[in-house]
Amino acid sequence: MPFIQNTEAERREMLSAIGVKSLEDLFVDVPANLRINMADTSKFKLPAGQGELEVTRHIEGLLAKTKNTGDYAFFRGGGIYNHFVSTVVDHIALFDSSFITAYTPYQPECSQGTLTFMFEFQSSICALTGLEVANASMYDGASALAEAMMMGKHVAEDKWRKEDRNTFVLAGAHNPDYEQVVRTYADVAGIKVVNVAAGADGRVDMEALKKALTRKVFAVAIQSPNYLGVIEDLDAINAARKESESLFVHCTSEPLSLALLQTPAEAGADIAVGEGQPLGNHQFLGGPAFGYFAARKEHLRKMPGRIVSETVDKNGKRAFALALATREQHIRREKATSNICTNQSLCALRALIHLAAWGKNGFVELAEHTVAKTQYAMKKLAAIEGVKLVYADSPVFNEFVIQAAPGLEKKLLKKKIVGGLALDKYGKGRRGQYLVAITEVTTKAQIDAYADALAEALKGKPAAVA
Amino acid sequence: MTTIANPADTLLFETSVEGRRCLRLPELDVPKVDLKQALKGAKLRAKPANLPEVGELDLVRHFKNLAQKNFSVDRNFYPLGSCTMKYNPKINVTLLCSPGFTRAHPHLPEADLQGHIELMYNLEGYLREVSGFPAVTLQPAAGAQGEMTGLMVIKAYFEEKGEGKTRTEIVIPDSAHGTNPATAALAGFKTVTLKGKPDGSVDLELLKTLVGPQTAGMMITNPSTLGLLEPNMVEIAKILHAHGAQLYMDGANMNAIQGIVRPADYGVDVMHFNLHKTYSVPHGAGGPGAGPIGVASHLEPFLPVPRPVKNEDGTFSLDSKRSKSIGKVRSFFGNYGALVMAYIYMSQLGREGVRRAAENAVLGANYLRVKLRNEFKVFTDRVCAHEVVFTDAIQAKNDIHALDVAKRLIDYNIHPMTIYFPQANVTNGEGAMMVEPTETESKQTLDFFVDVMKKIAQETKENPQLLKEAPHNMPVVRLDEVRASTQPQLYCPMCMA
Repeated sequence: MPFIQNTEAERREMLSAIGVKSLEDLFVDVPANLRINMADTSKFKLPAGQGELEVTRHIEGLLAKTKNTGDYAFFRGGGIYNHFVSTVVDHIALFDSSFITAYTPYQPECSQGTLTFMFEFQSSICALTGLEVANASMYDGASALAEAMMMGKHVAEDKWRKEDRNTFVLAGAHNPDYEQVVRTYADVAGIKVVNVAAGADGRVDMEALKKALTRKVFAVAIQSPNYLGVIEDLDAINAARKESESLFVHCTSEPLSLALLQTPAEAGADIAVGEGQPLGNHQFLGGPAFGYFAARKEHLRKMPGRIVSETVDKNGKRAFALALATREQHIRREKATSNICTNQSLCALRALIHLAAWGKNGFVELAEHTVAKTQYAMKKLAAIEGVKLVYADSPVFNEFVIQAAPGLEKKLLKKKIVGGLALDKYGKGRRGQYLVAITEVTTKAQIDAYADALAEALKGKPAAVA
Repeated sequence: MTTIANPADTLLFETSVEGRRCLRLPELDVPKVDLKQALKGAKLRAKPANLPEVGELDLVRHFKNLAQKNFSVDRNFYPLGSCTMKYNPKINVTLLCSPGFTRAHPHLPEADLQGHIELMYNLEGYLREVSGFPAVTLQPAAGAQGEMTGLMVIKAYFEEKGEGKTRTEIVIPDSAHGTNPATAALAGFKTVTLKGKPDGSVDLELLKTLVGPQTAGMMITNPSTLGLLEPNMVEIAKILHAHGAQLYMDGANMNAIQGIVRPADYGVDVMHFNLHKTYSVPHGAGGPGAGPIGVASHLEPFLPVPRPVKNEDGTFSLDSKRSKSIGKVRSFFGNYGALVMAYIYMSQLGREGVRRAAENAVLGANYLRVKLRNEFKVFTDRVCAHEVVFTDAIQAKNDIHALDVAKRLIDYNIHPMTIYFPQANVTNGEGAMMVEPTETESKQTLDFFVDVMKKIAQETKENPQLLKEAPHNMPVVRLDEVRASTQPQLYCPMCMA
């Protein structure tokens, strides 16, 4: 049997030591009429097991029915980005089994490897966000935002005991997956979620936001760069929330932007969350990667997730240990700050390796290249007749929206180009709009090819209106 | 004499040297831009994030040094109860590294994702067969999120029936995983604790007094966290259903019953799988895992979207048009990479292999129970499932506790078992030691563990100090964990410089 090492003789020996006759005798607590009868192949219809060779062939067969970003000039992001991942990351995280085949570091003496990298990971998230506390990872950006909402609610319950603060404001254009996850969590927790839409410039409508920020609001979340690629005016949002004293949650699905842009801490955020995939994690159709979660120190005891602290051992030597477990489900049970247990440690390790491999200056350079390529792509595409930049006057980092014409995908695919993501499902009036994403992987030649193909596809189409 | 800092104990941030580089970008192939101008006055950060700057060799060596400070399944017997630390086949990782997976972007055209959707569709099928449920969703990212999704589905079901306001309680046995009550609270339910019988099974009479029209459901772990199969599952389901309530099964311990009995046949309405436990997705130093759920037919309409479907022409699609769905619990399709590994593993096991895995897991645990029961008190000394709970009652007479036994195991290169779970209120104040060998360990390894545990029992009487001071050969020993929480230092100061 695959992966079972004991021989029939050894099994008999073990059964005899236990004092039972057969393996069946070990399942006396399962009612006989419910036990699976292996002779009856009409039930429990799993296929027969396959060896390594057959399974490899089978998986290769499935993959033959797919294409990936490497097969195209690829211009889509929308939450997951087509970045380069160094081989060093895979070698440490996947091929050295010391991390991948370990589990949660409950026993610190034999888990210092894991605890140390978690501490270093937390430190790099602190460096990126400027906030003083970060946890050891959440599932993804979307559930990290939902957990930020839940944490905000817990803070509110303590801070404003006499006030009924039950509203969470999603300001501006959030990733629709994030919004859906937030709403799913909010529904069962009885939290009211209010959207404040983006204005004509792609940034949150400040007048509408000011109106929405009443004393019913316990927290306001902003995604920046937002789903439309536009960098929000965080100072204005921070000022707007002051009167209602609501907490301020900063979110991004492209943490590379933090290499250049005002940090969440500088912007006055209480909590910063986001998607970690762009930091050294493969695309895998959107997961596993991780969500990062950081906050101001005053909120430490309301934070979800595992947290590692430096401490000393009994000889006074520096050591690392899980800290503040009294927030967590295995101790606090129904009073826990979150139900998270298994997290995304290995993906956090990947992010740490990625960040260190680029380093302080390399990470900035990576972001600068992204900006330069994005600017080039914007100019190039905007020069096409029938294409307009929808938010031409607003700042963007790695993504931007163009107005062209609907239904261009097939023409582009013929030229091995996956053009920007169609936004018609994202909201009314977005027919013919595309969200274009650029990374360091995108080349000038690909951008030029995209522009040429787009120009050709638009020939004879009515001019864009934007 | 000056002390020399050991490079193996140095943090990346501490080895950083300004200007050192590992990765390099290709020359910029588009015109350079002025950042302020390009970003149209958007505020920039005051100074760069102070990330460590290291060369590739030192980077690799740093993590190789850390690797040596970790116990892991590939190097150590790892009988961490409740976590199912079975062997993780190498093929999982190798195949997962195919560009077809690593570069699979979720926004590729659906026609390019056919093989992936087919894989998800097939995996759902495998899990349906193992569990007996007519519908499965793969979206939840971990067991706890599976629990959350399950309770959301139950809530949506009652809301549709107009009972959303009245069904406010979830019954949870006192021996349950901590995630169960935490999830119930997060999902807006009141938790009602059900005290277990001394042998760890459910007290049916007591249960009857707790269930009523206010009950939304019960969360039960089977086999229980005491490592015992619940003998009265069918009766429990009947009691709940008589009041219109739902039975949720925590499938964390599915490794013991897969291929033996299908939870749906007990009358269970919802259960989650832990693919990182039962189906060999590597635990990754804490994650990622995956926590799919299976549901009975009346709950299917409420499952998260999108759902992989097979079309009449043999192609596959992702269906998001389900009006009763609770929505999404995770972005895109869940932890797809983890799903791929579980699928590869299940394909290798097949029908026979799945059952043999359960049989051998249970065989190993019972073998340890019998071999060690004279030296260590077995909490309930009857046939157990895939794990066995000992307590430190015998050792406590020498002031040796579960923690000391755990630390001494490290000296023998064995990862400690789970300790102090189930919690003391369940084990009458005795320190629990929950041992889960898993089916992939050989008899020799189990015999080695037995010898070590017997030796430790002997040392308890003859030289308890040896245990109190354990472990003896690790880089650090007996940490000040209180200080970690009372004076937390959560980042390396240089990162904020």
